[in-house]
Amino acid sequence: MGGTSKTWLRLGTILLLSLSVVLSGCSGGNAKPSGNNTPEQTATGNNDGKVEPFEISIFIGEAGQQPTPDNKIYKKIKEETGATFKFEFLAGDIDQKLGVMIAGGDYPDMMTGNTKLTAAGAYIPLEDLIEEHAPNLKKHYEKYWNMMKDPNDGHIYILPNYGVLNADPASNWYAGPAFWIQKAVLEDAGYPQVKTLDEYFDLIAKYKEKYPTIDGTPTIGFEILNYDWRNWSLFNAPQHLIGHPNDGGVVVKDGKAEIFADKDYAKRYYQKLNEMNAAGLVDKEAFTQNYDQYMAKISSGAVLGMFDQHWNFQTAEESLITQEKLERTYIGLPLVYDTSIRDHYKDRPALNLNNGFGISVNAKDPVKIIKLMDRLIEEDWQKILSWGIPDEDYYVNEEGRFMKTQEQRDNFNDGTWKLANKADAWFKFAPKMEGYFSDGNSTDAAAQPEEFKAGLKPYDRQFLEAYGFDSPVDFFSEAPENDIAYPAWSVDLVDGSEAKIVNTKQNELSTKYLPKAILAKPADFENVWNEYVSEIRKLNIKAYEDRINEVLQWRRDTWSVK
Amino acid sequence: MDETLTKDRTGRKSKKEKKMTWSLIKSQSQLIYMSVPLLAYIVLFAYVPIWGWTMAFQDYKPARSFSDQKWVGFKHFEFLFKDDSFLQVLRNTLAMSVINLILGFTTAIILALLLNEIKKVFWKRTVQTISYLPHFLSWIIVTGIVATSLASDGIVNDVLLKLNLIKEPIQWLSEGKYFWGIVGASHVWKEVGWNTIIYLAAMSAIDPALYEAADIDGASRYRKMLHITLPGIKPTIIILLIMSIGHILEAGFEVQYLLGNGLVLDWSQTIDIFVLKYGLAQGNYSLATAAGIFKTVVSVTMLLFANWMAKRLGEERLL
Repeated sequence: MGGTSKTWLRLGTILLLSLSVVLSGCSGGNAKPSGNNTPEQTATGNNDGKVEPFEISIFIGEAGQQPTPDNKIYKKIKEETGATFKFEFLAGDIDQKLGVMIAGGDYPDMMTGNTKLTAAGAYIPLEDLIEEHAPNLKKHYEKYWNMMKDPNDGHIYILPNYGVLNADPASNWYAGPAFWIQKAVLEDAGYPQVKTLDEYFDLIAKYKEKYPTIDGTPTIGFEILNYDWRNWSLFNAPQHLIGHPNDGGVVVKDGKAEIFADKDYAKRYYQKLNEMNAAGLVDKEAFTQNYDQYMAKISSGAVLGMFDQHWNFQTAEESLITQEKLERTYIGLPLVYDTSIRDHYKDRPALNLNNGFGISVNAKDPVKIIKLMDRLIEEDWQKILSWGIPDEDYYVNEEGRFMKTQEQRDNFNDGTWKLANKADAWFKFAPKMEGYFSDGNSTDAAAQPEEFKAGLKPYDRQFLEAYGFDSPVDFFSEAPENDIAYPAWSVDLVDGSEAKIVNTKQNELSTKYLPKAILAKPADFENVWNEYVSEIRKLNIKAYEDRINEVLQWRRDTWSVK
Repeated sequence: MDETLTKDRTGRKSKKEKKMTWSLIKSQSQLIYMSVPLLAYIVLFAYVPIWGWTMAFQDYKPARSFSDQKWVGFKHFEFLFKDDSFLQVLRNTLAMSVINLILGFTTAIILALLLNEIKKVFWKRTVQTISYLPHFLSWIIVTGIVATSLASDGIVNDVLLKLNLIKEPIQWLSEGKYFWGIVGASHVWKEVGWNTIIYLAAMSAIDPALYEAADIDGASRYRKMLHITLPGIKPTIIILLIMSIGHILEAGFEVQYLLGNGLVLDWSQTIDIFVLKYGLAQGNYSLATAAGIFKTVVSVTMLLFANWMAKRLGEERLL
């Protein structure tokens, strides 16, 4: 007995000693680079001496695919900085996953932004880290510094991935909300200018009458999706029809936010839908379908139009392109009630708050991570992450412009190729330059004007020529300067607060009554609508509006940039 | 044997009736040791978590120590019971649960009785296998199948149209009045085969001599079913019934969540969905816990009540 315990004692001492040696070694190693830290040195610092490999575990808050193990961009990152990434993608429901993560305090080194995680104290404040170790990031976010601060405690937890612009970016792809219509419908009608809701439905009605089936399936005039959190297709159109930008559930008029669900201009839209339903234009199954069924219908090419955000049905549209049904792809139209209203669908990108990476409290070495991000935000790396490797993924023409061959273009649309040759899982959420590089090239291949034109399919080129436009975005009016507090939809209502509960209840009422109102016999519409409005008025809507106005005011007070 | 062992070792008096004595404990020490892991398991996983009920009386925030939580008394219970939709939600839960219970029991017993009458083993096995296969599908698949069959161009509408029973397709999933029935039917389709297994097992335990005696008395097939098979499986039925009544507030979650939509909201929302919407989705774990406590209390009460009723009626009991 005595012998064993002595052995254990000895072993324990040895372990303890070796641990302390290791620990002191670590801290010594850390002290050195931070001592002589200048931007130039971080950029090239790794050239002298060997790169120390380290792994960063990352949770990505949306579904995705693991990059291949020999991905060329990640390999390059590892060669230069020693960093490897271990991604965990969301499978299933984000709230459930986060609930489990929070309950167990089981965080990886980095996580994509989420207000739940912020509220649970899962991120570390980044402002001191950036000031001390990341001069490039500091410069990158300089103009947005105040906006990035958490409204509740003034710390910066998340590094926004989108919305940091160095110029008003040219763009050829519109991702936002619009009334979408099949190109074939416009082509068939002789490329008319469509400005109002009535004109839009007239076109659809005429086309549907002319072609009752498309490729054998019955033509669906107008499609609506209201499934789970994807509810804007049903809820959001009225604010745009009166010329307001997308503020989510409210319209901000003269700096004051108010809900629009119960207003007369909302009624006008749903009454129109009611009439269109009676005319057989609205899909009968619109309100019982799930997202997959909706996407399947769009991919079939039988849906003439819908109100949606472009990114929401993008994969269905890509499937139409693969099937070479280009005339069945869509054009976004910024419809309004009457021509005196200026459309405001397209907006200037606002800083994408609550999205991007944060470093978790469990991260072993936040300094290393922030230095890595600081290195990757530099222009040479930004080019690699966005465009790829020169002469492999794109070429530079005589004028110094970045261009792609058709093969390179196809590669960039090929998901499997991208897993092996692009660092998208990282780059999507990482801080990034938007606008132009210092040599005048666009930061995003899809936004490079000559590259976009060269990549257009003949059908699309001819379609745009008929309208005299350069890109589909030209259908929209130029976006005016954003209100500083814009957009209201990014206001955090705070989980469990009265504002949030009222909002949930209001959405529930809309989910229940709007389909009823649309499907009702035109004579009954008035009754259903009145019931809906009176139910909404029973809620404490003021709590919801007050919370939004409070945050908007706070933004105006603290966000004053420049 | 224990008695004699005890006597031999201790050399003291032995009693016929087993009283808890040190000697008895000592003699059965191996058994007691063996039960320790199981007891620990139950304490650890069934009783320790009850501590979590304290969450219902706090404004619980994760990753905060117990002493830092804010106590709010019955606030969450109040929210739950005072909410306008709670009664409706409770009604839906009970209605669907009762429909499931009744349909589930009758269909399973009838199918078991019918299967029991099939003399060819091959056919019996085939029918049984086919009928219990859907049990192994998850609800997300089943609801997919249900939604597809009930679509306007789905098989149900097709058949009804061909039979000239209806003039135009019925939008099954957009009418609230059909919803409970659809849920009940889906449950039956998925679980009926599985539920028969236990009844068939009980039937095989019935003494064949009873059937022979009935044959001699000239009893018909239906008579035998009614007077021998059914009474033979009655204890099983009662025990299962008591257990099911304990689950009266568990109307299921996935079916309603996946099949429901705005148009049938008034019929489809169950307690579990309510809790998901206003509890978990809002990070309000306290409300979810409060609802959990409510459900447990109702379950235990119903269980005890059913058990008491069974005792009064002189039937088999669970406890």
